[in-house]
Amino acid sequence: MSAGPAPRTAERMRHAVGFHDSMADLMSQLAPLVRDCLLRGETVALSLAPPTLSALHDRLGDELGGERCARDAITVLAHPDGPQGSCGQSLAVRRTRELEALTADGPVTVIGEHDSHFDGPDGRFWTDLDAAIHVAMAHLPIRMVCFYPRYPLHGVVLDGARRLHPLLWEGGDLHPNPGHRPVREMLAEIPAPAPALLGAPHHAMDLGAEQLVDVRTLVERVLRERECPAERLDDAVLAINEVATNAVEHGRGPARLELWAEPQGCVAEVHDRGDLDDPLRGLVAPEPGQARGWGLWVARQACDYLRVWLDEAGTHVRIHVTV
Amino acid sequence: MPRTIEDLDLVGHTCMVPVSDEHAWEATAAYISRGLTRGEQVVYFEDATADRLLERLADDRVPVDSAISGGQFLIVPTEATRAVTTGPLDGVEPAMTHVIGESREQGWPGVRIIGEAARGRIPQGLNSLVAYEQVCDEVLRDNPTARLLCLYDRRRFDEGALDALRSVHGSELTGPPAYDDGLLRVTRPAPSMLRLAGEIDHSNRSVLRGMLDGALEDTLRSVDVPVDVTLDLASLRFLDVAGAVEVIRGAQQFPGTQRVLLRGPRSRVQRALQRCGAGAVEQLVVEPSTPAAGSGR
Repeated sequence: MSAGPAPRTAERMRHAVGFHDSMADLMSQLAPLVRDCLLRGETVALSLAPPTLSALHDRLGDELGGERCARDAITVLAHPDGPQGSCGQSLAVRRTRELEALTADGPVTVIGEHDSHFDGPDGRFWTDLDAAIHVAMAHLPIRMVCFYPRYPLHGVVLDGARRLHPLLWEGGDLHPNPGHRPVREMLAEIPAPAPALLGAPHHAMDLGAEQLVDVRTLVERVLRERECPAERLDDAVLAINEVATNAVEHGRGPARLELWAEPQGCVAEVHDRGDLDDPLRGLVAPEPGQARGWGLWVARQACDYLRVWLDEAGTHVRIHVTV
Repeated sequence: MPRTIEDLDLVGHTCMVPVSDEHAWEATAAYISRGLTRGEQVVYFEDATADRLLERLADDRVPVDSAISGGQFLIVPTEATRAVTTGPLDGVEPAMTHVIGESREQGWPGVRIIGEAARGRIPQGLNSLVAYEQVCDEVLRDNPTARLLCLYDRRRFDEGALDALRSVHGSELTGPPAYDDGLLRVTRPAPSMLRLAGEIDHSNRSVLRGMLDGALEDTLRSVDVPVDVTLDLASLRFLDVAGAVEVIRGAQQFPGTQRVLLRGPRSRVQRALQRCGAGAVEQLVVEPSTPAAGSGR
């Protein structure tokens, strides 16, 4: 069955999962999907592991021959190096910005693939990423197909993939996914992962409304010492102040800031004893003039890495600033 | 007790006890600006404070480049300031007399002196500081075209010490009513203008909302031709996200025919406003800072 044209009237994301048994199986699903899009003149964005990308290019080269123009419609979304690439929420924010630009001229088909290099200790990176994508990209006119192996190393990868996608890619077409569950219900079962522990912080302070100015002064001093460019410094001060403000304003019990000064920037963590029910807050742009809901959205936009996670001790946020 | 004044032009030997750093810089910049406008010479004794002063003068759009190159505005370097302030007391009278005499010889109709000169005497104790001010007071009585404004930080002196210092000044400068919490200072330089200096965050954000509501109410009650409301943001160093949203939502409440003019916001403040969607609000107009004011910040 043909994939069918992505309807020009589509205004919201269609988010699907496809499964494969092997590279050959993956290629047998992937190549026709991409080829049909290109032959229809549609833009395709690929977030694939390098071997898959290489195999796909070879296959399309054979199938499309001299149709270089068609292949120019492919955009490769590279997996970023550094901390951003290991944080599903942060990667979703970056991908959303990239796809907002790509979809300015019309709907786009986006194809992603599980890559075990980013599993982390337990595979929850993928659950975090899919959940964040589902929330952050809901407004985009995209058809997104995420391919997963049927037998990944970590069972949680498969559990998340089966339940987080409302649609299934099977037989070359989209179908409703009977296993789909609401994203926040899923996150209650498979919480967003905590990042790897860092050593003892270089700076730490209890937070109250009167300490916010001290937080800003500290961040500014540390980043100025590292010759941080002005705009990045402004964004970092804004983002870290927002996260600290959230903890003071909404968190329960004492809030605390910890900061690590690194050679290339800094890492800030804010902890409070609140029980924020939604680690994906701040992934959707508030409406213009909306009174609330801006803080975490702006903080996520203003830095490359912002991860929220919850545990029995409360709510935690980590921000990386790279100069 | 000295008489209390508000007009900087009346200053002879005057003290001031600012309520915040922003208040101190506001008064210093106004004193210097007024002197330059009147054609007087201004001598500022700096103590690693010249950059901060020049930043505030730029915020206030006070042109100083030609005054500095033409000798009207002298900035005494930190080392020279400390040499005067830590030296023996009997060196103060000749030093001050020399500054005033030299200014007169160069043809300036008056000279205004200000800066951090008294700070060096603080470690020597209150009596030494009072004695120093007494000498200054005597010199100024003999030289009526010279003016000296001394600022005393409330955090460093108790009321008894401040009274002792007031007693050796001819007058005390007080400012018009203002909101000042030490982090944010708000003044009203004109009926439809608010000047914000310092930082707005969670600790003082409600003040911003109150001010915007007040400005809106004044506007709606105005029976004359509606005037635009100006928020002078040149000295606002930080605006948090909720503060930016307050400004945006406040502006949206104004009638479509009126504008809320944001004057000279620094890049950090402008960035916060942009990230919160200020660009889409018809009533908001940003008047960029001048090139001089924008440099180095």
